[in-house]
Amino acid sequence: MPLQLKAGLVITGVIVLLSLLAPWIAPHPWDTISMRTRFLAPNATYWLGTDEYGRDVLSRLLMGGRLSLAMGASATFVSLAIGVPMGLAAGYFRGWVDEGLMRLADVMMAIPPIMLGLLVLAVTPPALWKTAVAVGFVYIPPIARLTRSVTLSLAGEDFIQAARARAESSSYILFREILPNAWPPLIVEASLRVTYAILLGSALSFLGLGAQPPSSDWGLMIAEARSFLDRAPWLALAPGLAMCLLVIGINLIGDGARERLDPRLKARVGKVS
Amino acid sequence: MIRVEDLTIRYRTPGGEIEALTSVSFSIARGSTLALVGESGSGKSTVALAAMGILPGEARIASGKILFDGEDLMALSAEARREIRGSRMGLVFQDPFSVLNPSLKIGEQVGEGLVHKRGYTPKQALVRAIELLDEVGIRQPEVVAEAYPHQLSGGMRQRALIAGALASEPELLILDEPTTALDVTIEAQILELLETLRARRNLTMLFISHNLGVVRRIADEAAVLYAGEIVERGPTVALLSNPTHPYSKGLLAAIPRIGERKTRLASIPGRLPDLRTPPQGCRFASRCPFAQPQCAASQTLMESGARAVRCGRADALVGVPWPHLDDGAGVSEPVRRTTAEPVVMVENLTKTFTIGHAPWAFEGWRPTRKPICISPVNGISLEIAAGEALGLVGESGSGKTTLGRTILRLIELESGTIRIAGEDVSHLPQSALEPMRRAAQIVFQNPDSSLNPRKTIGDLLARPLVRFGLAPAAEVPARVKALLDLVRLPAHYQDRYAHQMSGGEKQRVGIALALATEPRFIVCDEPVSALDVSVQAAIINLLADLKDRLGVAYLFISHDISVVAHLCDRIAVMRHGEMVEIGPVDEIIERPKHAYTRKLVAAVPRVDGVSGGHPA
Repeated sequence: MPLQLKAGLVITGVIVLLSLLAPWIAPHPWDTISMRTRFLAPNATYWLGTDEYGRDVLSRLLMGGRLSLAMGASATFVSLAIGVPMGLAAGYFRGWVDEGLMRLADVMMAIPPIMLGLLVLAVTPPALWKTAVAVGFVYIPPIARLTRSVTLSLAGEDFIQAARARAESSSYILFREILPNAWPPLIVEASLRVTYAILLGSALSFLGLGAQPPSSDWGLMIAEARSFLDRAPWLALAPGLAMCLLVIGINLIGDGARERLDPRLKARVGKVS
Repeated sequence: MIRVEDLTIRYRTPGGEIEALTSVSFSIARGSTLALVGESGSGKSTVALAAMGILPGEARIASGKILFDGEDLMALSAEARREIRGSRMGLVFQDPFSVLNPSLKIGEQVGEGLVHKRGYTPKQALVRAIELLDEVGIRQPEVVAEAYPHQLSGGMRQRALIAGALASEPELLILDEPTTALDVTIEAQILELLETLRARRNLTMLFISHNLGVVRRIADEAAVLYAGEIVERGPTVALLSNPTHPYSKGLLAAIPRIGERKTRLASIPGRLPDLRTPPQGCRFASRCPFAQPQCAASQTLMESGARAVRCGRADALVGVPWPHLDDGAGVSEPVRRTTAEPVVMVENLTKTFTIGHAPWAFEGWRPTRKPICISPVNGISLEIAAGEALGLVGESGSGKTTLGRTILRLIELESGTIRIAGEDVSHLPQSALEPMRRAAQIVFQNPDSSLNPRKTIGDLLARPLVRFGLAPAAEVPARVKALLDLVRLPAHYQDRYAHQMSGGEKQRVGIALALATEPRFIVCDEPVSALDVSVQAAIINLLADLKDRLGVAYLFISHDISVVAHLCDRIAVMRHGEMVEIGPVDEIIERPKHAYTRKLVAAVPRVDGVSGGHPA
């Protein structure tokens, strides 16, 4: 296993595990206001200090991890679920299907993500799942484009011709012959998108368009900590560093996975001409 | 001129260190040509790269010397080495399609070295480039010098590359499979050009090739490489007509020869040893039919006169032919040779592609743009009987592959009729083609591309059975085993993925895949072109067996007339989308009627044919 993949799995695994176990391992209640413990610097009781309402930052961080992870995962799921079939169809059928789908992707790409978020959340009350869908929507075009280019090159391979010579249906060829071979680059891309989605989701929360107080999304935590940067820098630092670590971990997984997942890369081992 | 002594080169790979060359020694006298012969993995290209000093970063020269005109190249500074490389050596690569920079004009590329190394002005370099292009036999060199690579044909590009290699007035020319990517007629021209250049400029050439016929034509001396070792060396004609090392014997026996029809070709079983841990003794022993216990001891290259052989039993084996190995099951009687009614009937088939548009022009008052069309298949008619093999030959671009795929409706036809197994399939919609798809299958050229890399061989072979409902679910595994057995692969291969097999094994799976539906007709699209000679022989034998046993009809597409002549009953010759001649093999080979067929047959380099025409 490549070192990158190992490191990525360890970092991401620890963060995911801690977030999942948050309700049981959080040392303090994450949402109980206590005016007596406001703005405490990190100490033995409150490892990462407390915020302006006297809530334990560590506990909030752990709980917030769940929100950020859920945001990243569900947004990426949305963009894969729509983008991959779009790209497969465009790349395999070519012609007007390709033109139509790709121009649609262009239109989607032309909408700035923050604007899209604003639009969705202006008409309905903000909720985390809506932010996730909006973020997922934003990342459909890059996924669709990547899938399309991978499909284009795979469609020229002889095993696709062989499948046609067996009278296989288009959906069999798309999902059983092409898709399994398109996964390696898609997984790499998707892992990048998870991190972008977490960052964009946090940005939307920061603007007040995602998670709402008192929940402890990392973006929202940074937003709230902004006014106290001079008095209590640990308030912004803790969620910021956590987000960095998570992003680095997932990116490492993506890069490592690419090496491991491509059977042709493996086949090259030990061949000299 | 150049002397390589005891050269050992290792490559670092993630799977461990590979010994690509093991103490290889040879020398080439000024003005003569040495051919390095070997199959893929033998290390022949590594020799070329090492001699030029352009080995990739993973390579490490473990020992040995390369002496160029008496100077040890490795003892020189990088600067001095580059000087020699730039001015006294030239290298011509295999693939003229990817070596030329597509965005530079031919004249600039040929003269490039002169500007950088010799201080020519670009104008002087262009003048010289035109002279060089003229020398390599390009007509209208002034025009070609202004052209971009994509405007030239493969043969012209290879000539331009040779011109580029000659620009620095080299004394040594290294050619790495220079004609492999070219058609036979072009190949013959390039070989002729090399002959002329050599005589005129007194060039020394290191010629790397897997094609023994080509080697016979061009080289004074030949050295056979196997698994990184030279196993035999000697004057070309003597070596090819009377090989001593078992590997050379096998290689020569595996080549189909025109005009010599045997029932089956000899093939070399097994595969290259693992070069991460090369065997202590003879590296060929595991595949050698003459092997004896003493072969486990390390073998040395023993010289006797002009020849040298790395085989302890060489003396005992002089004159002993390669045995005719029975390649698995014995040849059984034909089972299904049925009626004389043709399986495939194609009439007046035409397919046209629009490749672009002419510039706007006025037609009366109306501005129009006429489409530019090519017809790779133009009014072709043919019939193939059950159990018959029709060979389809022609140069690249003649429409062979398009014809094969159009017959199978993988490419939509324009006009004409196709009848397969008695049914007119030319105008049925794709959804109604199921019976035809069962009856007609295809085997592809490149088994790397024709097997889905994400599926196990078992899954691949099971799919057609499931797709056409040919076997109840419980019987599928047994049928998969039977298919593997049919192409002589062991049953445990069903758990492997394509990348875990050798090229020949992959092609066997490709054939099994086509056979799964019990077809009556198979289009074989260059099925052996991507394979090494020794493996090619086994696949050709397999195809011949299957034809006899199952009564399958083939449309066998190949650019190699000797293979077609060996396997097929009749030959069709295509040129520019039209069929110029069709007839029984002997007629076509011995009494070709059409001038183009004559040219094609004459151009095939033969192992037992003429050699270069200069004293060997």
